[in-house]
Amino acid sequence: MLLEWRQKNVIYGILLYVVSTVFIVYISTGDIRPPVWNILFWIIVLFASINAMVKSFIQENNQRQLYYYQLAHPVAIILSKILYNIGLLFLLSILSCLAMTLVYESPIKRMGLFGLTIFLGSVGFSITFTFVSAIASKADNSSTLMAILSFPIVIPILGTLMMLSANALGLIQDTAFLKDIYTLIAIDGILLGLAIILFPFLWRD
Amino acid sequence: MKENWWKIIGIGLMLFSLIFGMLTPLKPGLPSVFPFNGKAGNQLTLSIQGYNTHFDEVKDQRVWLKLGDYTLGASKLEATSSNLLKATFNTPDILPSKDSVVVFTLISDNEIDGASVMPSAIFVKQANIDSLGAAQIWPQNSVDNLHQRAGITFPYRNVLGETIRNLYYHVSLWFAMFLILAVSVFYSIRYLHKENMVDDHRADAMVSVGVVFGLLGCATGSIWAKHTWGTWWTTDVKLNMTAIFMLIYLAYFVLRGSFQDEIKRARLASVYNIFAFASIIPLLFVIPRLVDSLHPGNGGNPGFGGEDLDNTMRMAFYPAIIGMTLIGLWMADLRFRLSVLADKLLDRM
Repeated sequence: MLLEWRQKNVIYGILLYVVSTVFIVYISTGDIRPPVWNILFWIIVLFASINAMVKSFIQENNQRQLYYYQLAHPVAIILSKILYNIGLLFLLSILSCLAMTLVYESPIKRMGLFGLTIFLGSVGFSITFTFVSAIASKADNSSTLMAILSFPIVIPILGTLMMLSANALGLIQDTAFLKDIYTLIAIDGILLGLAIILFPFLWRD
Repeated sequence: MKENWWKIIGIGLMLFSLIFGMLTPLKPGLPSVFPFNGKAGNQLTLSIQGYNTHFDEVKDQRVWLKLGDYTLGASKLEATSSNLLKATFNTPDILPSKDSVVVFTLISDNEIDGASVMPSAIFVKQANIDSLGAAQIWPQNSVDNLHQRAGITFPYRNVLGETIRNLYYHVSLWFAMFLILAVSVFYSIRYLHKENMVDDHRADAMVSVGVVFGLLGCATGSIWAKHTWGTWWTTDVKLNMTAIFMLIYLAYFVLRGSFQDEIKRARLASVYNIFAFASIIPLLFVIPRLVDSLHPGNGGNPGFGGEDLDNTMRMAFYPAIIGMTLIGLWMADLRFRLSVLADKLLDRM
């Protein structure tokens, strides 16, 4: 969906949001250890991504949605939104990682694994948040609903991600991290399949 | 009456499971022994605590210390009450093992209670290690002619004790809850397929019963945890995942509450119900198996099976699952009829 790219100011807004959050955390905590770094990093990414995702359906007005509806197939719409959001979240995670590295020392020991982790994380977050945002956009109190609906669903993904990144940070020596990666891919796959199957039902309005 | 047969079966099975599960006595067992350590070569006098035992009524009471094939019978036995027995052992200077501290299993047998075993009952320390010499002194395979306790009993397990009965209610609640939620997903799919309002009402009723069963499952599990782990709630992964899973389903009700339009509500609730059910499968069945957990059946811990779940327990456990599911479906049916009637009333007004 190239249309989203037009709203560049929104992206800049989110990126600025990440940087300022990291800075606030930096000012309020001072020096931190790698385990805390891990937790803070994922909390910042989680909240930044929920802020970024809210706009994917909720902040669009009905007329434009009707226009998209006539223009494209619903599956194409959800897929393009998910793909766009994956890119956005990946960028966002890299940026927050960079910002955290700037203010703290980088505790990352295995760069490749960490990169894979944040990529899989952006895929999982993007699928869940995009789909939940589609549900929540139909209601009146949508931003509250968005948080209520998406947080419990995203917790298993978040837990697995934290384990993987703890591995990448060298906090734990787990040789079975491949199993975690497969779990994550499986969860992402299930959620993606469901989102594609169920989205056409949400769209009709 | 004809179409109500399944409700009667449900109640009957549940009643049977309650009565049978609660009234059947536990097999006699040995909860504790004091002192739990000693020195080789000394005379060991153990106070053995029994549970459901009849130490003072029997004449042929026998007690052994067992290590592999080597067994040492008690030289003197004195029953102070039906549940307390003093046993004296004359241990040789050397033990049939290469370790300096050796862990023995305690076995008790008599004609009324049958044989009971207490694994890792007593630690015995030896000053000189001579396992080959000890192998000639120690008697082998002297445990024979063990008795069977007459009548139906449930197995006795240390730590679990009487709470072993909770298996029939705690575990079957979760089974029933999962089945009921699965049926509700079936109705949600049918709603999206046929757009019939009735299916949505059914799915809603099932989810509410499922959540009630989930809460009851947490409560029974909590009681069990208090007894066995010593706390109502721990940060165990299975428990946390259960809490998250309850949050997901409570969000379902929030979602339903935030729509005025009936059709919109039905459609979104159905979509969310399917999505939520799919996301609880990794929550309850995949993740707890990957990480360490105290809960049976996870993280390398065995579930109930083998010796812990014998056929007498199955006689109470399986009816409880079926009965619980049928009663849950009945509860959902009542709720469903209530919401249909409320709809009719609204239409008339």
